Amino acid sequence: MDLLPSQDQLDLIEAASDFIESRLPIEGIRQRVDDPSAVDLAAWREGAELGLLTLGLSEEYGGSGRLLDDEALLFAALAERLAPGPYLASTLGARLAAQAGDIALATAIGEGETLVGLAELRGDGSIGPDTIKGTFDLIDHVGAAYLLVVSRQGAALVEATSFPDIQSLDSADPGARLATATVDAAPVNHWLPASVDPLWLRGIVLAAAGLAGLANAVTEMSTEHAKVRVQFGRPIGVHQAIKHACADMAVHADAARSQTLFAAVCVESGREDAAFQAYAAKSVAAMAAIKNASATIQVHGGMGYTYEHNAHLYLKRAHLLAHLFGEPTQVLADLLDQGAPQ
Amino acid sequence: MDLDFTDEQVEFRDKVRTWLAENKPREQRPEDAAGIREYDLGWQRTQWEGGWAGIAWPTEYGGGGLTLTQQLIWYEEYAAQGLPGIDATFVGLNHAGPTLMTRASEEQRSFHLPRILKGEAVWCQGFSEPGAGSDLASLRTRAVIDGDELVVTGQKIWTSFANLADYQELLVRTDGSGSKHEGITWVVCDMHTPGIDVRPITTIEGGAEFCEVFYDDVRIPLSNVVGEIGDGWSVAMSTLSFERGTAFTANQVRLARVVEDLIDFARDHIGPDGRRPAIADDEIARRLAECRANVAALRAMTYVGICDAMRTDTPGPRGSMLKLLYADLCKEIAALGMEIVGADALRRNSRWDANGWVGYYYYSFSQSIGGGTSEIQRNIIGERMLGLPR
Repeated sequence: MDLLPSQDQLDLIEAASDFIESRLPIEGIRQRVDDPSAVDLAAWREGAELGLLTLGLSEEYGGSGRLLDDEALLFAALAERLAPGPYLASTLGARLAAQAGDIALATAIGEGETLVGLAELRGDGSIGPDTIKGTFDLIDHVGAAYLLVVSRQGAALVEATSFPDIQSLDSADPGARLATATVDAAPVNHWLPASVDPLWLRGIVLAAAGLAGLANAVTEMSTEHAKVRVQFGRPIGVHQAIKHACADMAVHADAARSQTLFAAVCVESGREDAAFQAYAAKSVAAMAAIKNASATIQVHGGMGYTYEHNAHLYLKRAHLLAHLFGEPTQVLADLLDQGAPQ
Repeated sequence: MDLDFTDEQVEFRDKVRTWLAENKPREQRPEDAAGIREYDLGWQRTQWEGGWAGIAWPTEYGGGGLTLTQQLIWYEEYAAQGLPGIDATFVGLNHAGPTLMTRASEEQRSFHLPRILKGEAVWCQGFSEPGAGSDLASLRTRAVIDGDELVVTGQKIWTSFANLADYQELLVRTDGSGSKHEGITWVVCDMHTPGIDVRPITTIEGGAEFCEVFYDDVRIPLSNVVGEIGDGWSVAMSTLSFERGTAFTANQVRLARVVEDLIDFARDHIGPDGRRPAIADDEIARRLAECRANVAALRAMTYVGICDAMRTDTPGPRGSMLKLLYADLCKEIAALGMEIVGADALRRNSRWDANGWVGYYYYSFSQSIGGGTSEIQRNIIGERMLGLPR
């Protein structure tokens, strides 16, 4: 039993973090807010060269062949720095293409040449091996040749051109792009049944990892502020109202991270309670990220309420991730339907 | 990363499971002091005889010499079979024992440690005083050296099981001239010594073990001092770091069983609307699921903590996070239990009863107070982990 990151994993996270900080800094979110795409394509391809999209892809398809806990650590690190772009959908998309035997597509996605956005079914509809139907939210679809659609039964790659009438929406998260589209019977290009590879659970774990990363980043942000912000002649962090808020954030963040890594190992090894652990991770991490980001705005006072400060970007990203791969209330209902954990 | 247990650990788990199933106590735990003493010590004795006492204690002190992972496996199997919490034997096994191992003389260790493991002695903790709760170092129970004895006068409070204990880990002030952390001494007090007056305090749960203890010229041999005279604060802190490190693992593991029991109960028990099972209520279902998720995370954190402790060997302030989350969750689950029982909340019961949710609810309030309040845990996390100013 080992749930601590190895030196190898720590090095990997550091390299990814350095890259995001230098090539996709948070300030870029505000600079690109009127740009059609949330991410600079040159930087996207550089990240792909670094292996950010292919960490978990097996080596025969040009990936690093690492396990889900490595990917979870990576996604937590990306979220800690609010990395823009469809990392989640493209990572899962490359995996799907590879499993479906479309090596050319898997390679193109992994190299950053082909982008995959995420399509989330909202309301009634169907997602099957041949066609998909319904109204979908499209997330970071701009410039994407494919959209990834994931259900409990399986995952589909659908060509972007199969969504005929895409209407752009104002995204609440300035670091993402949003649209809506309704399709009657869009053809599925590649289908991966959950029985072969549970992309639904992998997606949940990686979303949870992102949420855990957000929860951790804002804990650090609040703690730092509490040390340096002086009022009444003393740093505000001496006061228990602030100190205890930071302590609670630290507990939430640790709970989110620990459960996410636990779930990652369970999903990767196909443990019987993998779904239980993944649902628990998503629930705990979403609560942690939203609570912590909310508290961070409060700890920063008036500054925390401004567009200029980063706190709201974390809160908005937290809400975005919380709605992927199952509404929070549905995830809780699914969790309660599971048997007791192993 | 992995969650795999070695062949040896899997075999260990099988043996634990079989032994517990065959040897676990079957009779209801009594509610009176004498009955509790007999029951808890008897069960500890059974574990000793079976070779299971002090699994992670070093073999030189009679323990199993096994790892914290095996200790965790024991607790998991223990909880899975719905066995009672470690109660009257808790201080001996989880506070006094570990402290004696690290700080006591060879003579003290060889006398006390086997008695703890064999279920021959109950220990209690004499730390808190009426004027020294969270601010433990302000304690004023005085001890004067007279020849080869300490003469103790003062009062302790919130002492669980003082009414049935043989020994007490007692903090006294031997010197009041320096700072409040100086001049404290950690001493083993024989609870049968003349001059000790134990008075029970009734709790909101109605338990029989809570006490205050008065000391009137109580003479304790100097040879009972653990560590040096005046060095008691550092000895006490080693106890507390154990308490906050791994001592609560059993409680954390047990909470997983408690939440599963509550879910089962909510499936069978008619809910607040008087018609459907409680779990059919959306609000109750949502909160049950949240508790399940949070308890899963507590377990994951416990696993991470054990991996951490195996790597570093000393439990750090990380244990405060576990203690804090555990206490919050315990109260949350207990409060939800009260909602699920509905109007049966009017009927008193005990947490030792099957479906004793009313008793468990009143008990749960102790969990964010005892062993360091949740406020103190937040201070520790804020100051020692996050580096916030004092």
